[in-house]
Amino acid sequence: MLTASSIAQIMVSGLLTGLIYALVAVGLSLIFGLMNVVNFAHGEFLMLAMYATFGLALGLALDPLVAVPIVMAALFVFGAAVYLGIVSYAMRARVNSGMVQIFSTFGLAILLRGLAQYFLTPNYRSIAHSWLGSRTFALGPIYVPAPQLVGALISIAAFFALWLLITRTDFGKAIEATREDADAVALVGISKNRVFALGWGLGAMLVGLAGAILASFYYIYPNVGGPFALIAYVTVALGGFGSVFGALAAGVIVGLVEALTAVILPSDLKEVGVYAVYLAVVLFRPRGLFGSI
Amino acid sequence: MAPRLSDPAPIDAISGSAPVGGSAFRRRRRGEFVAAAAILLAAAALPLGIDSVYVENILVLTLMYAALSQSWNILCGYCGQISLGHALYFGIGAYATTLLLVKFGIPPWFGFVAGGILAALVALALGYPCFRLKGHYYTIATIVIAEIASILVLNWPWAGAAMGIQIPYAQPSWLAFQFGRSKIPYFYFVLALAAVTWLATWLIEDSKWGYWWRAVKDDPDAAESLGVVVFRSKMAAAALSAFFTAVAGGFYAEFVSYIDPDSVMNLQLSLLMALPAVLGGIGTLWGPALGAAIIVPLSELTRSYIGGSGKGTDLIVYGALVMVIVLLRPEGLASLLRRRPGAAVP
Amino acid sequence: MNVTRRNVLLGSAAVMATMATRVRAAQPKDVAIGVLYPFSGPSAQVGVDAKFASETALDIINNRHDLDLPLAKSAGLPGLGGAKVRLVYADHQGDPQKGRAEAERLITQEKVCALIGTYYSSVAVTVSQTAERYGLPYMSADNSSPSLQRQGLKFFFRAAAHDEMFSKGMFDFYDWMRKKGTKIDTLALFHEDTIFGTDSSNAQLKFASERGYKVVADIKYHANSPSLTAEVTQLKAANADVLMPSSYTTDGILLVKTMAELGYKPKAIVAQAAGFSDKALFDAVGPQIQGLITRGSFSLDLAAKRPSVGAVNALFKARAGKDLNDNTSRELMALIILADAIDRAKSTDGEAIRKALVATDIPGTRTIMPWKRVKFDAQGQNEDADPVLLQYVKDKLVTIFPPQAAIAAPIWPMGA
Repeated sequence: MLTASSIAQIMVSGLLTGLIYALVAVGLSLIFGLMNVVNFAHGEFLMLAMYATFGLALGLALDPLVAVPIVMAALFVFGAAVYLGIVSYAMRARVNSGMVQIFSTFGLAILLRGLAQYFLTPNYRSIAHSWLGSRTFALGPIYVPAPQLVGALISIAAFFALWLLITRTDFGKAIEATREDADAVALVGISKNRVFALGWGLGAMLVGLAGAILASFYYIYPNVGGPFALIAYVTVALGGFGSVFGALAAGVIVGLVEALTAVILPSDLKEVGVYAVYLAVVLFRPRGLFGSI
Repeated sequence: MAPRLSDPAPIDAISGSAPVGGSAFRRRRRGEFVAAAAILLAAAALPLGIDSVYVENILVLTLMYAALSQSWNILCGYCGQISLGHALYFGIGAYATTLLLVKFGIPPWFGFVAGGILAALVALALGYPCFRLKGHYYTIATIVIAEIASILVLNWPWAGAAMGIQIPYAQPSWLAFQFGRSKIPYFYFVLALAAVTWLATWLIEDSKWGYWWRAVKDDPDAAESLGVVVFRSKMAAAALSAFFTAVAGGFYAEFVSYIDPDSVMNLQLSLLMALPAVLGGIGTLWGPALGAAIIVPLSELTRSYIGGSGKGTDLIVYGALVMVIVLLRPEGLASLLRRRPGAAVP
Repeated sequence: MNVTRRNVLLGSAAVMATMATRVRAAQPKDVAIGVLYPFSGPSAQVGVDAKFASETALDIINNRHDLDLPLAKSAGLPGLGGAKVRLVYADHQGDPQKGRAEAERLITQEKVCALIGTYYSSVAVTVSQTAERYGLPYMSADNSSPSLQRQGLKFFFRAAAHDEMFSKGMFDFYDWMRKKGTKIDTLALFHEDTIFGTDSSNAQLKFASERGYKVVADIKYHANSPSLTAEVTQLKAANADVLMPSSYTTDGILLVKTMAELGYKPKAIVAQAAGFSDKALFDAVGPQIQGLITRGSFSLDLAAKRPSVGAVNALFKARAGKDLNDNTSRELMALIILADAIDRAKSTDGEAIRKALVATDIPGTRTIMPWKRVKFDAQGQNEDADPVLLQYVKDKLVTIFPPQAAIAAPIWPMGA
């Protein structure tokens, strides 16, 4: 039987992991909230961010923490480019645009995995030496690894910054306005296309942040995004599409439920706990916990 | 209004149908049926000109995916409930057929039907709570339910768990549904299945269900008044869709003679059932078959001829082509087949 | 006859074919072997490495090398007039149906005379059945599931060990250590949830109960999980004498990192290879697992006693940039054994090759493996494919068991 301190350890780790899940998920939620698009290449965005961080560590000996702003900027550009080059065409579809968006990003996901395999080989990489990577804090019987702790703190800070952006800045107001009525905003001088492109950039940038953090303690290879993407979709839906706070709350819930289920049931069934919670929640709240769409 | 996931093509815009009951409409319906019969005959004659087992395999897979996508289309294309968890039904069919055969000695034909009925019942049970979910919430629920089922089977020793189940070799016969090296009988079975799913779709288009669903899509307020009636029809569509998907799953189990959770219940499979319909045209009569005819050979040929390098070039080609087709022809390639007089411009 | 493009193409193909056969008649036709591995998807790196291994074996077969290995000293297959072996690669993407489709294509279109592969045991099921149906041999190079040879197939052959043999090696080692006075009573199993993990843990549970070891934790985890903290916390709480992981590279890396993060230092780790024989894992977390023990099919320090081992490793390293390991050594050796059988059969007929395989009797010293010999039993399994146990010491894997192959004494516990 597990001791109380073991259970406490599992809860703490689950919380930290959940905050990182939230960070991975929020970009998805933002893009959806803005324009009703689910990015099926979300996991591949994460993968690219991790490779970028790895590349900077390998080539320029940059610590992942230092690389964070660079990777975020790179992903911002990439996200905007994906919107302008692909998604904007998908949205012009007069019919089926929902499915067109999903499957054009589905095709993009396969393409990105193929390109990663082609240029970077399928070999497993990891960043051997990072400032955070090997440190862990012992608080009594509970171990708190530095990368996860810092990642969780950065995640909270990012959510706060996002909240400020959306509620306090003009850009944030433009996003809200465009979300409410994408066609009408042209009347007040807001370019819908510009807002969407920036929205994609912002969403991708957040995934970039998550990827840079993960790269300091996780392995990297072309298929690394898959499991994270699936958790991200469930997290966003659980929290409610379009709700930033929902993504945060749901991420924490998913992390905790996953960790607890691994103890109560055989560990390979831990995802079942998460999925069951999602189904239970939407049974009573069909729009997730805080969804408004 | 931002585009919504549950807004597939209004059928009228694609097919340019005349008012219901008119002679032009009946002519179009007859035309579709005649065309289908002609294609069926031509397809049935195909194996006579082919002696490559590899090509026959591609044909069997193409027809299987055509049938799968057509079944998916019934629920998702016409009803608008986008499911990305149909692998659940495929798996139910595969496992039901296999377990009935291996554990109880029941011939596959009964297994196909049993699996189909079981899947239909599961679809009804799930439809009841899930249909109230809208758009992406419903889709994620379907994904999650299929994943739960997959994980549970992975941990179920009686059903083989991770080891999977092998169907023992039997003397070739239609009863045992095994045919040695030949793929031709499989071809005819799956051709028949594809034809049946096409027929089901064709019948639905000119039925009460079809009209309700079109009405609901064109005018969401109508959904309020049609309420219960539409709900019941959706449940029936879900059951029908699940039934055919499970039969295909049972077929697949017999075709490959080995199943495990990863090969018959994974998420990728659900996406591949939807993809032909998306490429060919969701909510259209010919879309799924057309999409399957393009994407399945493409996927097989790229893997076989540029896949052995380890460089991922086949993925690059496949992914790029999916994107190109979806973006250039969002309404589906089926739209190329018909002119669209007065197609609506939103 | 109409001059359509199709006819022109067919016509020119026919002309070229007749020209080719005229040219070819001068030299013996080549012998095609079908090679099936995953070349895309999560295990793509395995396929890439397997290709290097296969090409190295091809080099040894087709060219003259002064090595004491079958077919090394000749160029091509002497039994077929010096015909060269040609490898045709196919990607099965980890899917049993695709594996079968590729096997059929290789057999009917590429006219291969034998198949080899496949890394995934699930794909091996359908590929071996296809081989059986077409009457040509399937050589299992690196599948480790014990159920494969029990399918009752005539054309199934496996030169290397399977999971029961590997696990038996581990428990023989425990018994040997116990006899020397080391305390080994409790075990913790940590295995992923696919065929590999299940087979491995089943074998380990069986031996544990037969030989009197207590399994205090049996943690089955979902492969490629984003987090393994809950699982590792349970392992830490159990604190067994030996941790026995059966994990692929990704999970292996995460396991080691998580153990370090949670301050869990097991007394000993005895791994079922897979991820723990992959250079990528040691590059990632090597420093944290000094003293880790893993089963292996191959040990590089055999080179001291057998020059061919070092030479072949050098040939492989020149292509792959890393040493031979558990997988690549098996893949390479299996291909040579298969080619040797084709050579002895003096024919590309499936049944003839099968008979030659059945008659195989190669002493272990003529291979690069620590095996006693290569001889297939009635089920096609080589029961003499003795595994070794290797320990990761000072960034190198050294053989510590069995005693006749060992070059160093085991360091136990691993932190000592």
